[in-house]
Amino acid sequence: MKPHEFKLTEEGMKAVLPPLEAEIMEHMWKVKVATAGQVYEWIRERHPEIRRSTVSILMNRLCERGLLKRSVETGRGGMRYVYSITSTREEFEEKVVKSILDALMSNFREATYAYISKMKK
Amino acid sequence: MAMLLIILLTEAVLIGLALSHVGPVVLAAIALIVLMFYSFLSLRGANGRYIPLSREDMPWLYDGIATMARKAGLKMPRVLLLDEYVPLAYSFKDTVVLSLGLFEVLDREESLAVAAHELGHIKNGDTKTFPVLAYGRYLTLVLTAVVVLTGRSLSVAVSALTMACLYELAWARFHKEREFLADETALRLLETPMSLKRALEELKYYEDLRVGMRSNALPNIEPEIERKQRTSIIETHPTYDERVLRILIEINGGGIFKNRIQ
Repeated sequence: MKPHEFKLTEEGMKAVLPPLEAEIMEHMWKVKVATAGQVYEWIRERHPEIRRSTVSILMNRLCERGLLKRSVETGRGGMRYVYSITSTREEFEEKVVKSILDALMSNFREATYAYISKMKK
Repeated sequence: MAMLLIILLTEAVLIGLALSHVGPVVLAAIALIVLMFYSFLSLRGANGRYIPLSREDMPWLYDGIATMARKAGLKMPRVLLLDEYVPLAYSFKDTVVLSLGLFEVLDREESLAVAAHELGHIKNGDTKTFPVLAYGRYLTLVLTAVVVLTGRSLSVAVSALTMACLYELAWARFHKEREFLADETALRLLETPMSLKRALEELKYYEDLRVGMRSNALPNIEPEIERKQRTSIIETHPTYDERVLRILIEINGGGIFKNRIQ
């Protein structure tokens, strides 16, 4: 995630990811490994209008963001893509905080230091 | 197809007129180069990210394709799975290629419908004629360039250019017709013909979503163009909508294809 992508008005993962991608990631952090079909079945309960194509595109976007990785696996039903998480939720949160703080430190060093020290007190 | 061959022959005559006694030699040399290039590509075959399909991998797909091939009077084609998340399908020689992304987006019936379309291309001989006619395009372009550059006669050069344009138009029309014919063949091979319509609709939705056309309908998603979309002045493929319309007419007994169905 790039610092400029941080959405101040959104809560939780939706502050750093588009809403549906955030929902998929929340689920993926719970299950760790899943196929797009399994994610589709899960998300369909919350968004009945969603289509397989949407889930497939979003999961592959999450792969491009480096949050998921894709591998070929032969399982029940045949050969398919299996998606797995590349880092835990905590590791991802750490990366987000680091990226934003790095950006603040390089642009507003004094103010950032002052604010952090005020927070500590 | 006859039209395309006539245009190629006309181009050959024009090069004879433009270069007189050197013409046949130049023509033979260009044809030989194109032929060698075609043979080289044909022999190279498929490799890389292709996974040959065995029955153990995906029995439902293997058996489904085997049943349709029998129905079409074909022997079991070679089926290759492509390690690519974008849904893709194509065929060459007696081989059907299906990307793994196809199975993410389509259900089993729809995936078999896409395979049936590719079997249609094999059954109708397109996998043999398409490469030859596609290289005919290059042959026409090279011949036209030679005629224009040697430039002994303006009328011959203009004729060659006209022939090259005509070839492009005829090729696009021929290609479109063969796509419709492959759909028509697929409808006869499928247990549930409507699955082809459903598959095309889902693939259209996928494409639309990828190019951002659905961004207003689905504000939560911010699709981007992940790879450059090919655009051409002369479309060689019918649109999904055109194909769906023809399928509906065929299924509902409109009879537009009836004269061609045996």
